[in-house]
This record gives sequence, C-alpha cells and structure tokens, in this order.
Amino acid sequence: MKKLSSISELTDFRHRILSEKKFEHEKLTLVVSAGTCGQASGANDIIRVIKRCILERSLQENIEIRVTGCHGFCDTEPSILVEPGLHLYPKLSIEDVPRVIEAALTGDIDEELIYREPQGQKRYYCQSDIPFFRKQTRTIIASNQKLDPIRIHNYIEQGGYAALEKVLLKSDPEWIIREVQESGLRGRGGAGFPTGKKWELARASNNGKGQKYIVCNCDEGDPGAYMDRSLLEGNPHSIIEGMMIAGIAIGATKAFIYVRGEYPLAIKHTIIALRQATDLGLLGENILNTGIDFDIEIVRGAGAFVCGEETALIKSIEGYMGEPRQRPPYPVEKGIRGCPTCINNVETLANIPVIISGGAKEYAKVGIPGNTGTKIFSLVGKIRNTGLVEVPLGIKISEVVYDIGGGPLGKAKIKAVQTGGPSGGCIPASMFDLPISYDSLAEAGSIMGSGGMIVMDDNTCMVDVAKYFMNFLKGESCGKCFTCRKGTQRMYEILDDITKGKARLEDLDLLEELALVVKDTTMCGLGQTASNPVLSTLRYFRHEFKRHIVDKRCDAFVCKELVGAPCQSACPLGTEAWRYVAHIARGEYKEAYRVIREPNPFPSICARVCDHPCESKCRAGTTGGEPVAIRSLKRFITDRFDPSTYTPKRTEWSDGEPPSVAIIGSGPAGLTAAHHLSLKGCKVTVFEAEAETGGMLTCAIPSYRLPRDIIRNEIDSLLDENITVKCNTALGKDITIKGLFKDNYKAVLLAMGAHKSRPLKLENEDVEGVYPSIEFLKAFNLRGELHAKGKVGVIGGGNSAIDAARVAIRQRDVESVTILYRRTRDEMPAFVEEIEAADQEDINIQTLVTPVKIIAENGHISAIECIKNELGDVDSSGRRRPVPIEGTEHTIQLDTLIVAIGEDSSTDCIDPVSESEIEITKWGTVQADSKTFLTNLPGVFAAGDLVTGPNTVVEAIAAGKKAAVMIERFLKNEELVRPAEPCIPKVYIEPVAVDDEMQKAGRARTPQAPAEWRKRSFAEIEVSLSVDEATREAMRCLRCDLEFTKKPEVEEKKTLPIGEKMA
Amino acid sequence: MIRLTINGLEISVEEGTTILEAAKFYGFPIPTLCYMEGLSPYGACRLCVVEIGEGPKARLVTSCTYPVEEGLKVRTASSRVIKARKMILELLLASCPQSKTIQDLAAAHNVRRQRFKQEYEDCILCGLCVRMCEEQMMAKAIGFQGRGENRSIGTPFNIKSDICRLCGGCIYICPACQLRCTYTEPEKAICGGCANLSPPCLEKEQFDDMMCYMEPCVACEIKKD
Repeated sequence: MKKLSSISELTDFRHRILSEKKFEHEKLTLVVSAGTCGQASGANDIIRVIKRCILERSLQENIEIRVTGCHGFCDTEPSILVEPGLHLYPKLSIEDVPRVIEAALTGDIDEELIYREPQGQKRYYCQSDIPFFRKQTRTIIASNQKLDPIRIHNYIEQGGYAALEKVLLKSDPEWIIREVQESGLRGRGGAGFPTGKKWELARASNNGKGQKYIVCNCDEGDPGAYMDRSLLEGNPHSIIEGMMIAGIAIGATKAFIYVRGEYPLAIKHTIIALRQATDLGLLGENILNTGIDFDIEIVRGAGAFVCGEETALIKSIEGYMGEPRQRPPYPVEKGIRGCPTCINNVETLANIPVIISGGAKEYAKVGIPGNTGTKIFSLVGKIRNTGLVEVPLGIKISEVVYDIGGGPLGKAKIKAVQTGGPSGGCIPASMFDLPISYDSLAEAGSIMGSGGMIVMDDNTCMVDVAKYFMNFLKGESCGKCFTCRKGTQRMYEILDDITKGKARLEDLDLLEELALVVKDTTMCGLGQTASNPVLSTLRYFRHEFKRHIVDKRCDAFVCKELVGAPCQSACPLGTEAWRYVAHIARGEYKEAYRVIREPNPFPSICARVCDHPCESKCRAGTTGGEPVAIRSLKRFITDRFDPSTYTPKRTEWSDGEPPSVAIIGSGPAGLTAAHHLSLKGCKVTVFEAEAETGGMLTCAIPSYRLPRDIIRNEIDSLLDENITVKCNTALGKDITIKGLFKDNYKAVLLAMGAHKSRPLKLENEDVEGVYPSIEFLKAFNLRGELHAKGKVGVIGGGNSAIDAARVAIRQRDVESVTILYRRTRDEMPAFVEEIEAADQEDINIQTLVTPVKIIAENGHISAIECIKNELGDVDSSGRRRPVPIEGTEHTIQLDTLIVAIGEDSSTDCIDPVSESEIEITKWGTVQADSKTFLTNLPGVFAAGDLVTGPNTVVEAIAAGKKAAVMIERFLKNEELVRPAEPCIPKVYIEPVAVDDEMQKAGRARTPQAPAEWRKRSFAEIEVSLSVDEATREAMRCLRCDLEFTKKPEVEEKKTLPIGEKMA
Repeated sequence: MIRLTINGLEISVEEGTTILEAAKFYGFPIPTLCYMEGLSPYGACRLCVVEIGEGPKARLVTSCTYPVEEGLKVRTASSRVIKARKMILELLLASCPQSKTIQDLAAAHNVRRQRFKQEYEDCILCGLCVRMCEEQMMAKAIGFQGRGENRSIGTPFNIKSDICRLCGGCIYICPACQLRCTYTEPEKAICGGCANLSPPCLEKEQFDDMMCYMEPCVACEIKKD
C-alpha cells in the first residue's frame, strides 16, 4: 500500500475506490457473518465449504465471498446473506451450502432454507423485510455486514475516512466540538455524559505539559452485553476514525484502545486495522503532512470488571492494579500519568464519523430531544429473536421486546427486562410503554448501561436474579472501599438467605437500608450502581421477596431449597408425586396408592381431569425432554384400588361436644372440606342446590372424560356417619347464612363454585337455540336433554368451550360443530390435549373471529355474524390483543349457538340474603382472605371457584382442604395462620437401577380410543397404561427428591472411646 | 484562600485543603479510620462521608479526598450522613467486632445492634499500613492482593519479605489492631486470637495472619504461667 502524503491524495484514493465499487455494485456476493459469535456457531466451516464449492466449479468470476463481523441477528447464525437480493439463509449446516450457492447462481431462492418466522410459516425473502431488521434504525451496526473488517478498502468503499478528510480540511478543532455538541451525542458507555461537553473540558484542560490522551473503552464486562465487541470486531476502522477525530478535537496525540483480553478476535482485527491505517499514512507522525501526530496503542485488560470504570481503567493502563480512585479530579483534568485524558466508549466513537460526515443537524433528527441518535442493545434472554438491535433512543421497550424481539419464547409470559447489566435494574412488563432514554431508565430505577437487555419471563425468579448479579458484583468489586466490598457481600448474604427460606421480613428492610447506603457512599460507578439490581427488584417485585420469606415458595421454581421436588411443589395439594412414581418403579403399588390418596380424597377423578401442574414443572420436561406422564401413572395406580378400601386416620373431637359445620355446595371443594372436617370429628351438613352431589364434576365435565361411576364411587367412599348431605337445598331459597347460625351451626363454608356463564352481551342472545355453556352441559349431564341440533357453533377457547363442543358432536341431531375463538390457537386457554382431541373428532376450530351479531328468525337463531381479527398490541395478560379488521364481516349459518366465554362465581344466591353483607369483589367473586379463607363475616369461610373464579379441580380440592384446616382451628379458637415451611421431600426411597435405554425412552402415550368410534359414544376415551409401560415410565423420573433425602444409616456406627485407635 | 461553609459556619482555608482537614481545623469532628496526617488520602473506610450540594444535587462524598471548592456548602452531620455512617459502623462491627476503636466509634454513634451475620476478621483493609510502609517507611514491603471478597494485605507471593525491616509501623498505625492485644493478660484481651490458636504456640514465628508482630510471643508468655 502506498503511503499517502497529503489530504488531496487521500481524496483521490477514496474517490478511486468509490468509483471502482460502483462498477462492481451488482456482483453476486455471499456474505458470511463470522464474528466471534458466528465462528462459535460454525461460520468457519461454512466459509470453507463455500470456498471449496467456488474452486471446484471455477466460479471465481461469478461469485464473491465476504467474511464480515456480526450482523446482529445472532439467533440465525451461522448464516449466509446473498447480495444483491439480501436473501438471508439462517442456521445453515455445511450440507446446505451447495444448495444456497445453486439458488444464488440461478437467481432463485431456496424456499426451504430461507428465513422463516420462528413457529410461523411465513417466509421472508429480503433481509430488510424481516421484522427483526425492519423495525431497527441501523446506522452504526449495518456497516458490519457490508465490509470485511480486515480490508481498509472495504471501509473506504462504505464512505470511510470521509469524516477524517472533512475534519483535516476544515482544520478547526472547535468546529468538531461544536458539531458533536450540536448532535446531542451522549456517552454510550452508560452514564450518558454529553460527549461534546467532555471534549470541550478535555480541550480546555492544560494539566500535563501539552500531553493529552484519548482512550477507547472496550472493557465490556456486563454479562449478556457484546455490542462493543461486535463493533470493534466488525468495523475497527470506524473506531479508529472516531478516535482520530476526537484526538484532533481535544489536541491529543496519543491514544489507547483498552480492550478485554477475552476478545481475541477484536484485538486481532484492531491490530490489522491499525497497521493498515499506519501503512496508508493515516496514523503516525505528521499525518498527511498536516503536522498532526496521532498514534494508537492497544492495551489488553486482564479481565477485571471494575477496569471499565474510568479511573480504574487509567490505573490499569498505567500498569497498576486496576482499582478506582476518588473523583475529583476527573480524568479530563488528571488522567493517565497526570495528563488530561478523554475516555469514550466504543459505540460513542463509532457515532463520531456518522455525525461529522452527515452533519450534526441530520444526526439530531433521530431519537428524541436530549437523547439523540441510535443505541445498540443486546437483546437476550427468554425471547424469540436474540441479537444486537440498533434502535433510535426514545423507542418504547415494548417495541423492542415484542416487535423486534418477537415476544416470549414459550408460553410463559414476559415479566421484566433487565437493562444495564449488573449495575442496572429490572423494569416490569407493566412499564413497557416507557421510552428508552438515559433519563427515563434512571427514573425507573435502572440505567442505560452499556446496553444489555435481558428479557425475563415467569420462569425467572427475581430474587434469584438479584442474587446472581450481587454474586457477580461481590466478586468484581475491587474491594478498595469498604461499603462496596462489604455491602455487596452482605446484600448477597441476605439474598441468599431469602432464596433458602431462612430470612425474616425484617431482613427486607435491612436489605433496602443497606442498598441505599451502598449507593450513597461508595467510591466509583460500580458501587454506586451495585444496589440497582436489589433496589429495582425490591421496588417492583417485593411480593416475590415476601412470598419467599413468608410462604417459603418460589413461584418461578428456581430457588432449589424452596422448590424441593418441582412436581410436589407444583401440586396445590402437595402430593408427593416423586414418591409414588418411585414406588411404581419398584412395583410397590399399595404403597403408591397410599401416597396418592393421603393428601387427595379424589385420586381417581384427578387421575382423569387434573390439569397436572406437576407435569408442567417436571424437570425431565423443563430441561429439554418430555415430562414424566405423572397423571397417567396416577391413573394406573387408582385403577387398581377401590376407594372404599382406604381407611383414613380419624380423630375424636377433643373439647366436648363435636361442633356442627354447614357446607354450601357439594363440588370438589365442599366435599373435600366435609371429608376432612369429619375426620377431625366435626358434624358436617352439606347443602347442594342440584339433585346430585359433585358440583362441576357431575354437571360440567362430560362422562367420556370422567365416567359417572368413578365420581359416585369416590364420593360415596367419603360420606360417613359424620356427614349429612341435603340435595335440592339452595342457599338464598331454602336456607340463609343467618338461619344456619341460628340452627346452631358453628361455622359455614361457602363453596358454590362458578356456575354462571358469562353472556356475550349481544342482541338476540335470549332467542331459542342460544345456550350458555354451563346450562347446556348441565341439561345434558344431569337430565339427559339434547339441546344441540344441526349446525352448532361454540364461542370461546377454554375447556368449557371444548367440553361443550365435544358433547355437542356426540348428540344425535348434530350435523357439524364449529368453535369460534377470537385469538389464535396458541393462546387458547384450554388444555392442549383437549384441543387435539377436538381436532380428531372433526370439530372445526376457527380462530381470530369475534361474533358481532346474532341473527334470529321467528325467535330462533339462524346465523351469526362474525368479524375477522388480527393480532395487535400486547395487553395486560401478555398476549396480543385481537383487533377486528374492518370489512371482514361474514355470516355463519347456525342452528345452535353455545356461549362459553367464561364463568362467573355463583354469588347470585347470596344477593337475596344481602342482609348478611358478604363482601363481593369487583370481579364478582366472594372476597375471602387467601390464607385463612375467612370472609368479612365471622365464622363464614369461602373457598374454591367461588373465590378464585373458574379454576381447576385440583385447586378446588386444595382450597377445600385448607379451608377445613382453618375451620378446625377457628372452632378450636387457635391462631389461624402459622409460619410456612418449605415443601421439600423428606422420605428416602431407594432408587431402582435404570439402564441407559430406559432413560432415553420417550414419554409413555396413554392409549386412546379411535376418534371415529368415540365420536358417537360417551364411553371413557383414555385407557390405562399397562404394567410394563407404567414401570418404564416411572423409571424415567429424574428423582429430584434424592437431592434432599438421605439413605438412613442401617449399620450402627462403631464409636470408639477417644484416644483409642481403630484396629 | 477558598471560602466555604461547614454546617453553616463560613470559613476560609487554603486551596488544596481537603474538607476533612478544614473541618478538623475548625473543630468539626468527622470520624475516620483510614485517614492519617502525613499519609496520602485514600477514601477506603467511607466513614468520613459528608454531604455537599443542595436539593436533588446533594450527595455524599468522602471528606478526606474531596478538595475544598469556592462556595461549597458542607454538612458534616446531616441525617443522611448519620444514617450512612451508622450503617457503615454496623457493617464494621459485623466484620471486626474485636476492635476497640470500632467499638468506641459505634458506641459514640449510638449504634446499638448489629443485624448481619457475625464475622471475626482482623482487618478492614483501610490501607493505612500499606501507605505507611510505602510513604513513610519507604519500604513498599506490603500491598493489596486479590479483588472483592478475596482482597487482602500481604507481602508479594505471601512469603517473607526481604524489604521489610520489621519496623512495626504497620502495626502502630492499624486501627483494628490498635489496643487489640493486651499482651500477657489474656482475659482482658479483646481478640484473644493468639491465645486461642491451636496448637497454641507458633514458637518464634510471627502471627502473620493476625498482623501481630509481638515479640516475645504472647502465647509463649501465657504458657509459662
């Protein structure tokens, strides 16, 4: 390379390269992004294969290959981008490469390999159409994919060194500073100090006998942040140019790039770039004969996080231990070796050429006042599209998370984003409308930081997050100042205690107090922001901390000491699923039944209709495999035992005459409470409004899922001499709460459930042929009435909608059944297996439609008018809101319409007795304390769906059981609430030997009757597992319990008297 | 001369003076553990924090390192300062409960409880000994090593230093060591570390990890009785 010796030579050189580029503009180019991230995922192999293909087929003239830095969409790597069409082929294997080349040569697109939406089928042919890219403003990072970082020509082709030329021609440092000030650029390292202001101070400072320094800070240590690395790796010349302009502006002649030793590729590319710039005469002494000297040196950081702090960084460059010193004096006055030093972040410097070439005014148009320009964030965590995103400041968090990031990864709802790395804070989903700017984030208790953005969903425990960052900080604090060193250690200690269930509520106050003092009194930025993870999680997620401390529960199932075996903690009843699964593996079925039956009076029912929270939290499933089929195993056991053979433990009522308790409602909650109270010796009367006991079990759940004799058997086994059942006795009509107390009942439990179907609130809803789902199901299940006829429509996407549809299709006069749901299938609240079963039974499921009008003829429904929806913004439930598309109204002919859009609690019966003044919440449920189940009236308890709204069977059973305990304590005048204990396995069960083959085996599938046969029958669909299948399935259990239990010492330890030695 | 106000009193001091020096000169007490006249200010113990500035810009700074500025308004005992100081003392007590100096400071600040897990460390890493060794004794025999919770003071590679002249300046200046050992009256000892060693004697070796260089050995003296 010829050394350039004047500015005009640089101009000529640039123009020559630019005109050559124009000539080659349309050439077919394969772009492979091979930053550190790309190489780690196999980009080097892709490059090798491309090269071989080109050589083998002599395509050198036709195809060019460009190896670039990271293009930002890390999720797609290794990828090939085909220019000029910008076709993005993601996640390639080496076998795919020839196909991509073939397609590129013919000008086609490989439909199979081209980028597709995750979980969607929509293909995107052009990179700029992909939602991840479309919503970004990529002024800085876009260059990465356009140039090879080790070729200075490439950089100049992209307009590089034009800004330097402009600056040298102007030869007015003050002008540069004015431009930068006018652009409003603020430091991208996190604190957001105005860059122009810093330069002005540095220029004015004359401490060091004329010597000044520029430092580029690339000590990027935040977990999950890597934008600086990717800039230095992908476009080192832009940083060099930025540094030179900064140097000219403040009058520095020497510069350092302080880069982490962990970034070898960035170091390599920077060294090459520096050499090229020096060779070209752009660095060194008397640059282009302008009399300006400028030299850049690379300093490698040794891996201390604190060295990103400017005063520590200076110490490190000077060769001392990297620890901060107290400011003032600031580095711009007294920095490296006492000379004025201007330290800028990589991204800040990358913005400088853009500002100088494009003009400050143009730059300031992007973003919002006070926060101009773009910022690169590294979007990671529980999100679909991870990678580097560059957005204008002032954009809403929700746009980044949902539009660019593509929303949550799985079904779990996004809960928060953590910005700013370990020094940042968590911002809850409710504040996602917040515009991203230095000031708004600081106000929300976080910081911009270097731009890490970690998305967290419901499976993230916020206490654990705070603990993680505190653990990081206590190790990375330099330890110089006492409050940072000890403060972080002590905060970690308290957080650790909380996650282990050892903390008290007072500790939260101590934690907060300590965090505030640490923030206030530490020396450097690390300590001052070290409290942010704690303070922000405390501010927005205090309830999670309290839940850990008071209830000893971790709802995200992260904190091991509180979770124990996930299957057990996930069960509202605390059933020791691991224990009976272990017994099944050992063939001890009787023991297994005892474990199942002890906490749960309705085991056979739960074995069929439980929503099995145990399986959804099963570690075999959450760690990538399939969960153990716990419910099928339960079914396997319960099918083998008659419920009446089990004799629960009974106690006599100790203090005098056994009291009478009235229970209203004979659903799972009411009957469970009755059973448990009767075991304690109470006299219980159960009042049921319908003719049969069982509540929702009998009146709503169809018999093909839950055979009637199973319900009868199980209920009958619970009724004993202490329990009296009075059917056809309704509250409000036949009895009143006051009356019950007059009849000498000492306590009343309200458990009437939620039987009130919510109306559509449309005209003609009262015509013949329109039925609320619960009424429809009741009419059939209790009285055998067949209401469904002809074409049936069901509105809703919950379990009761599916139940209604599947019952309808089994009715004699039904022609077809269509389910209409306003969101998409993914968002249907019904169980997945139920939706699948409905599919198999030829039930038509139409999604994204909302009924707008019921059309009636002669007092009978004839059709329904619907409108199509599209998904809009995310609502408070974390799901995308359905938005009607105008002009898509259409009618569907119907003979029967079943409305199943949810149920309300059956509080109507309380209204007539409103003199009893039971408090009702605004959602129409009964107001009862979540722990004591007490309503506002003394002695009146409420539990089950009546309190929670429509809920699962197992939740109702659990509520009934807990309410019974409360009622017993109430009758004995004891304290109702007692300190909670973490629910961890306590019994040791010897594991059986499992061979490899068994562990690799997939989940057992419960045999089901064929769809054609079952469509016309109400016989039970699911069949039990065989002994062999069940044993095999039970052996798949990972036995999480063994971590907490110990094999009892069988052999007695031989203790020798002290002093004697073992023989 | 620079004019500033401390706790409402207008004073003037020479340029380059720190707030701590100015406050001391005018008789405002500011507690500190890591400051010593003749040694460079270090800002490690954070006890000397004072509040400067007003309104939302008010902040705490360490008075030992902050140079006076024209018109500066300093509050040495505002509620924010006292709150921070008490918490720091509580943290100090939790780490080094044996130090008489820390106990006295805590008592003077009405710190009556200690809510953290009790530790029994010997050192608060104030760095006085390191600076003493370097700046006054011109030896540089000891220095800091490690980071964060692993930070400690020692000789290079933790082996006996050839540069160390055993001058004892480091022990003399140590706020945690000061008044700690009562030599031959172990029942009055605040730490009692040497007496509790097991085995209780290291003969002629110095108790390095306790930063105690007592000669003759206390443990040996106890044993003689």
